[in-house]
This record gives sequence, C-alpha cells and structure tokens, in this order.
Amino acid sequence: MKTTDFLYTLLAGSAIAAAGGMIGSFALLRRMALVGDALSHIALPGIALGLIFHFNPFLGAFLFLALGTLIIWTVEHKTKLPVDTLVGVVFTLALAVGALLSTEEEILEALFGDITSITGLDMLVAVLISFIIVFLLLFYYKKFSLTLISPDLSLSVGYKPHMLELLFLTIFALGVAAGIKFTGVLLIGSIVIIPAATARNIAPSMRSYIWLSAFFGVLGAVVGIFAAKIYGLAPGPVFVIIAGIFFFASVFLRKS
Amino acid sequence: MPILEVKNLSVVQNRRPVLEEISFSTEKGEILAVIGPNGAGKTTLFRAILGAQKFRGEIIKAKGTRIGYVPQKLDLERDLPVTVREFLTLRPHEGEDKNHSPERVLQMVGLQEILLKRKIGELSSGELQRIMVAWSVIGHPDLLLFDEPTASIDIAGQGTVYDLLHRLQDEQGLAVILISHDLSVVYKYADKVLCINRSQVCFGHPSEALSPDELGKLYGGGKKFYHHIHDTHENN
Repeated sequence: MKTTDFLYTLLAGSAIAAAGGMIGSFALLRRMALVGDALSHIALPGIALGLIFHFNPFLGAFLFLALGTLIIWTVEHKTKLPVDTLVGVVFTLALAVGALLSTEEEILEALFGDITSITGLDMLVAVLISFIIVFLLLFYYKKFSLTLISPDLSLSVGYKPHMLELLFLTIFALGVAAGIKFTGVLLIGSIVIIPAATARNIAPSMRSYIWLSAFFGVLGAVVGIFAAKIYGLAPGPVFVIIAGIFFFASVFLRKS
Repeated sequence: MPILEVKNLSVVQNRRPVLEEISFSTEKGEILAVIGPNGAGKTTLFRAILGAQKFRGEIIKAKGTRIGYVPQKLDLERDLPVTVREFLTLRPHEGEDKNHSPERVLQMVGLQEILLKRKIGELSSGELQRIMVAWSVIGHPDLLLFDEPTASIDIAGQGTVYDLLHRLQDEQGLAVILISHDLSVVYKYADKVLCINRSQVCFGHPSEALSPDELGKLYGGGKKFYHHIHDTHENN
C-alpha cells in the first residue's frame, strides 16, 4: 500500500471512529446498543444498488438507512410496538433484499468492509461527515441527553422528543453509512458500541464519557490500522478486536 | 385568568376509556391536589397536560407557561454516567441564574453539595426524588406538576419538600398540581382538590369537596374511611 493510501486510511478511519464513538455514547444512554447494530444492516441493499448502478455505495447506504430509520420511527410512534421488534423485522427484510441484489464478492466487501481501497475524495467525504456528526452531537448535547434519559422530562421543558429522536437516528444513519466502508455492514455496530461501552466503564461524568468514547474509537482505529498494515490484514476486523481488548480491560477498572 | 384550564378532557387507551370528561382550572399561587385510587388516570392526566398523551377536549395553558415536572419515578440505569451537577444543568434556563445554581437548588431540597459529583444512577430513590424536585424548580417555572413527589422520601425529607412547595407558591406565585395519596397533605397544603376515578368525582375546596359521600364514591370505603380522614385532619 502506498504511503498516501495509508494516510487516507488512517485519517478516514480515525475520523469515522471518533464520530462513531460519540454517537455510541448517546445511543448507550438508552439501551440502543443492539438496536443500532441491527439497524446498520439496513444499509446492505443500498450498497448493492450503488454497485449495480455505479453510483457511490455510501449514498445508497445512507438513503436506505434514512428510509429504514424513518419507517421504524413512524411505525413506533403510530403503533407503540417495541422498537427492537420493528428493527428486527425491517433489518432482516433489508438483508434479504440485499442478498438477492448482490453478487457473492460484493456481499463479502459490503459485509466486512475494505477501507484500504478508498480514494482521496472518499477520505475527504468521510472526514467531512464525521466533522458534521461531531458538531451536531455537541450542538444538541443537552437536548439529546435529556431526551434519551427521559422523553417526558424533555417534553416538560418544551423540547420535542419525537423530533429529537428522529434527528438522532438520522445522525446515527449518517455515521453508519460513513463507517461501512471501514468495517462493513456486519462489524459497523462495533464502531458505535464498543468504544462507548468502554468509556462508560470508567467515565465519572457525561462530559468525560462523550470524549472518552471518541478517544477510544480513535485509539482503536489507529492501533488497528497500524497492526493491520504490519501483519497484512483487513483493518476493519483488526479494529474490532483491538476495541474489544480495550473493553475487557476497562471492565476490570470499572467501579462496582 | 387561570394558568391552566382543562375542559371535558377524555383519554382513550387501547380502546378503553382512561379519563372521561375531566374539567378543572387552576390559578397562580394555588396548590391543586389530585387524588384517586390506583389506576384512576392521575398520571395520564399529567401526561396529557405535558402533551405526551393524545386526548379529546381542551387543555388551555396561559401564554408562555413554563412547566416543572416531577415524574412518579425515573427509570435510570445504575451506571448512567451523568453526575447530579450535569443533570441539573440539563434543564434549560435563560442566562446565569444564581438563585437556581445546582448548589442553591440542592440546598432548597435539603441535600448536601457533595452529592453534585455523584452519578444520578447511584442515588437512593429518596435522594433522586429530591433531586427531581430541585430540577423542576430551575428556570422559574409557572406551573409545577408533581406526581407523588414524596413517595420515596423519608418523613423529614417530606416536610422539606412540602415546605419548599409552600414557599415557592408564596414567594413566586407558582401554581402547583400535586398527585398525592396522603389526604393529610391534601388538607394541609391544597387550596383545591380534584378527585378522579376515571371520571370526575369532585372538584373544589378540600373541606367542601371531600364529603364522606364523595370519598366513598372515590375509594369505595364509605363511612369507616371518612372517620380515619377526619382524625387525620383534626390532628393537623
């Protein structure tokens, strides 16, 4: 791999991991870990369509994720069905459609990602999107925190929890779409969940929790990408394993 | 002009009526107690006022009314990484407000400043409930909705909370709507009482509205029940 390609990988991977970690810190305020993981699989048919019709798979992934979250959000508020049931139904539907649309080779890349094939433009887009995500999360920090802790309290101070939930899910979808190139559909949940779960084990406050989530994301990405280069492995799975090691280490530091 | 006026409010959940034709109003500086047996629709009434519950009828709030809400319970995970100080600053209020700084509101509900560094998930239910009361008064609300604000608070703490309510009502002219199961509290602090058991049983001044007949209708306890209340009232 050329040095510029490696730099692109490192920059894009770190930016996405920072944004993903920060998204995760909010998502874990409301037991959304597995919901978020399953949600990310909705991207698969979008990626497949992008590959078939030769447009950017990121765009396809984001459109499908946005549509999927919108459907889930609408049905949840109309029917009061538990959100995990809904996500379960929508995500397996999306997986089935994605499997029909893709060839075997495409599926493998979509499932496990390959950030080493990114171009300079891809890198810029990934960094820009990550920046937007971090900005939005910090801008709406208080509103998101309160809404995720208690929608009723959020409502009582005049916020609109339903709209804030939709905005948060859209940011979530954006982060997942940006990260899919890195880890693929199957492992994207790890970018969101593992760094935040690690930070939660040791953070004494919300502020430190958010920043530590981003920090553990970046640390996992940097170590993972270097290790992958040295041993000639795919960076996505290596990132997940490194992040997993940090998590188990943090469990021992956890104050019971 | 009343700060809150509710006209013919009805709520249906799962095709079953939960509240039917509730009408009442409350003015500035008034404490309104809402009483009724379990499952009578008291919390649903609060959720309708907050806008979290669909309803038929009218709920008219005076323009610009700020609400402070203390839910019956807050379901928090124990390891939620949010400190008490952070939680108290999550409530929006205009500008710097020294009277409602985290330290000050904690003092108002009789808690030590040292609690500010603790995580909210680690508090005892009584401490959390007092924190919720402190939270609700930040930012000068005009209307406080308290859903059994002292259910998990010890006796000394209960006094602090009710005295605080009384003080806020006196000093700032707040309107307070209070769900309570403790009729002695209703007699001691409430200016008006609303009794509901899905439909409206009574509304008015406690000594007039809470007749033995009405209480019998409300709780199905009849005379025996009334004597108990009567004693409590006299003791106060």
